[in-house]
Amino acid sequence: MFARLDRKVTPYLFVAPFFVLFATFGVYPLARTAWMSLHRWDLLTGPVRFSGLANYAHLFTDPLFYNALANTASIFVVSTVPQLAAALGIAALLDRPLRGRTAWHGAVLLPNLVPVVAVALVFTQLFGRDQGFVTWVLTWFGADPFDWQAHAWSAHLGVAVMVIWRWTGYNALLYLAAMQAVPRELHEAAALDGASRARVFRSVTLPGIRPTLLFTVVVSAIGGLQLFTEPRLFGVGSSGGNDRQFQTLVMYLYENGFERFDAGYAAAISWVLFALCAVLASVNAVLVRRLVGRG
Amino acid sequence: MRRAPGVLARAALLLVVVGSLFPLYWSIVVASHDNAAMSARVPPLLPGGELGHNAHAVFEAVDFQAAMANSAIVAGTVTVSNVLLSTLAGFAFAHLVFRGRRVLFGLVLGSVLVPALLGVVPMFELVSGLGWYGRLEAVIVPGLVSAFGVFWMRQACREAVPRELVDAARVDGCSLPRVYWHVVLPALRPNALVLAMLTFLTSWNDFFWPLVVLDPVESPTVQLALSHLAGGYYTDYPLVLTGAVLGTLPVVVLFALLARKLVTGLVGGRVNP
Amino acid sequence: MRRSYRPLWLVTALVLVAGCGGGTSGDGRLRLTVATFGEFGYESLFEEYERAHPGVDVVGRVADFDAHHKGLITALATGNGAADVVAVEEQYMPRLRESTAGFADLAKFGASGLRDRWAPWKWEQGVADDGKVVLGLGTDMGGLAMCYRRDLFERAGLPTDRDAVAALWPTWEQYAEVADRFARDAPGAAFVDSVRSIYTAVLNQAGESYFARAGDSFIADTNPNVKRAFDIAGALGASGRTAKVNTFTQPWNVAINQGGFATLTCPAWMLAQIKDAGGPANSGKWDVTAIPGGGGNWGGSYLTVPAQGAHQREAYQLAEWLTAPEQQRKLFVDDGILPSQPEVYRDPVVLEHKDPYFSDAPVGRLFAASSDTIRPNYRGVRDADVRPVFGRALGRVEEGSQSIDQAWEQAVREARDAVR
Repeated sequence: MFARLDRKVTPYLFVAPFFVLFATFGVYPLARTAWMSLHRWDLLTGPVRFSGLANYAHLFTDPLFYNALANTASIFVVSTVPQLAAALGIAALLDRPLRGRTAWHGAVLLPNLVPVVAVALVFTQLFGRDQGFVTWVLTWFGADPFDWQAHAWSAHLGVAVMVIWRWTGYNALLYLAAMQAVPRELHEAAALDGASRARVFRSVTLPGIRPTLLFTVVVSAIGGLQLFTEPRLFGVGSSGGNDRQFQTLVMYLYENGFERFDAGYAAAISWVLFALCAVLASVNAVLVRRLVGRG
Repeated sequence: MRRAPGVLARAALLLVVVGSLFPLYWSIVVASHDNAAMSARVPPLLPGGELGHNAHAVFEAVDFQAAMANSAIVAGTVTVSNVLLSTLAGFAFAHLVFRGRRVLFGLVLGSVLVPALLGVVPMFELVSGLGWYGRLEAVIVPGLVSAFGVFWMRQACREAVPRELVDAARVDGCSLPRVYWHVVLPALRPNALVLAMLTFLTSWNDFFWPLVVLDPVESPTVQLALSHLAGGYYTDYPLVLTGAVLGTLPVVVLFALLARKLVTGLVGGRVNP
Repeated sequence: MRRSYRPLWLVTALVLVAGCGGGTSGDGRLRLTVATFGEFGYESLFEEYERAHPGVDVVGRVADFDAHHKGLITALATGNGAADVVAVEEQYMPRLRESTAGFADLAKFGASGLRDRWAPWKWEQGVADDGKVVLGLGTDMGGLAMCYRRDLFERAGLPTDRDAVAALWPTWEQYAEVADRFARDAPGAAFVDSVRSIYTAVLNQAGESYFARAGDSFIADTNPNVKRAFDIAGALGASGRTAKVNTFTQPWNVAINQGGFATLTCPAWMLAQIKDAGGPANSGKWDVTAIPGGGGNWGGSYLTVPAQGAHQREAYQLAEWLTAPEQQRKLFVDDGILPSQPEVYRDPVVLEHKDPYFSDAPVGRLFAASSDTIRPNYRGVRDADVRPVFGRALGRVEEGSQSIDQAWEQAVREARDAVR
């Protein structure tokens, strides 16, 4: 009797905490946001009037929305691809016998440990126009002082560097943990067969960590779409430069919701963002599944 | 036999580490100078002697002890809870059969998609409606478990806990909670430790949500205290970065103390060559 | 509501947090929280108030400008979390006047009777519904003057005496001519920090900017005041007269410290920022004189009492005391915070106040004179939606990525969209 109950009910009890919290702090805000997006909704005074899909209609003709979308996509590509590749490489290195392993692990994770305020200051110093470290190095090669924030490509690059710097080590450790779970015998068998190290990596390690790979790609994609902190810290305010050249979607959301108090419009942006996340995540999942076959 | 990395690989790794360390090093440099030095045409590249003075000023300006304690409470609670609840749910999704499992897991995956910033206003309404405004519950409770953790621990469970082991334990008459505690949790330890580490970091460094629901003066976390230091029209950077360094050191020390455990956790039960 | 079985930290948190919407401390004392941003100089006043009012604890919360106002807005949006007394900067006032429900009407505590304390325009900005509803009591204001570097002026062969300097630039056009002369004779330093500060100063001297005083209609595209300010500032930016550093950023601090630019539009509160950024090494290098185009105002705040507070009357009493003439006088002498009350800024103590850091400039007299000639600037309800658009446009001119005409055209387009 008890065993039966245990088998039937316990699994639900095991997953219940997650779903209770998710329903409260995930689903409810999402539903309420959907409701808000159907209204002309002032952040301070609440609903003004029901407006149906008007917010969405405006969104799809809003050039600033497409601008933010393009910036987000560009920064995402420039940051995520090198970031995950580098993380993979670092993980592969750390997966080998190494003296002082602890110190290496710690050092790799360190960027994630530095408070956001410090990150902002250090990077604006690095990319400063007049006294910046990067500018200083470039002048050795005869370059003029360069305003990193002023151009779309350089601003995207700068933001990407911040993202890469902050998150590569984090992903490397995720990969490392997955790699450690790949049975060692597989490696050794492949090595005995005379496979090169690169080949072992490709045909044993990569398929072995496929689920984690898949997951990090999806999470990075979503993280990339929701990029906010780094570009916000890179410039002043949430407009992302004088011509919005590095304003991301979430910055645009923030500008509308919290600077212009247009909560209805911000909610509509949220929902479009949510849909985009879903699409991008599934595309990525399929892509990675194709790329890294089942071994 | 696996070989140690060659010179080139070591050099690459060293480069990565130098890159990772530089901003922290530079924070220490700034923290050990006064503000005039930071305004010089060529900023200093070596640490100066003002760290003690700046540290004193930080403790004068904000209640840094309270901030540390609050951050430790929040990050500690969130970490322990996340590990326990994530491994629990991960185990259920990996090895237990129950109706609606696929759908529910789909929901877990879907929940990763909910943009964090999306529901700030409804979230705030909710939390303040519960009477948690300005209280640590406001940051602790929403962070008690994450889809990230559940997904990851499910994956880890599939890899690290053979299904046969679970079945065998159940045949022996072990109830599910006992199987979880005595079989699953120990086997998941390597992954759980990494999850703990990353969760602690994320929570310790969380800024936006605490800024919304906590008060920088009355219930500060370390990150809020730092933003408070940077609060004037005029920012005293050495002071802010001294705070940043002070706020980072305990975590570094904690990780250093736990390091051996973490690494043995990472390499798991594997026999070292 | 104390729960002694809770761990110590929670009790502490509870006790501390009890003050968030007003509350009583454990021993039955009344706790009032006052949220400000930047530097209001209130700390010593709080102590004085507590001494005069046994049983009241006053707790200050200070955040940076953005965080402070975002916090207030979130609190208003959700009806929870605001301090008992909250400072609001003037640029947020037009928008908040639209949601008067969020604030206690101070008129019901007798605030209307205080009206004559303030300069009329300052009072007007703090009231709604034709003056029937009083939202906020004025704190400081930002009477405009011009700060300049004596050493750089000397290097350029320009006069350094503050009256002689004022005589150089009665108008902004003449100011631009001085800029050209300076660029020719003292290469290596810029003439002014950024296009934005010039633009703000010129625009704030006009009676109307983006919206019409009558009917609040959008006139940014046709109002000559806006175009004029845009052109004056844009021309300085396009010809490289600016150091391209935005106010309060670290590059701005460095430029002040290193003498990167020679002039800076100086609302009264700016003096403290210059001192902080310049440090003792720059003492005596700066001076203050009259601004081109007569007086003007940039910035200044109000103290409000959010309606969600539990002790509105007590909060009002505190706000009234903090903005009373005696306190405003004290704040000016101690911290250089310019009073918004004529009786105070015409007080001999204020008028005779000189600042040694700024070569003993008679800042009291200068700012009082500037304040007397202020033309009250009308701000539309949606001012804050439009203003950044023009700031960014000028930024593009300064960066060299657009001509003045291109930038103007794009700004007008974006501004129209923003007020749709």
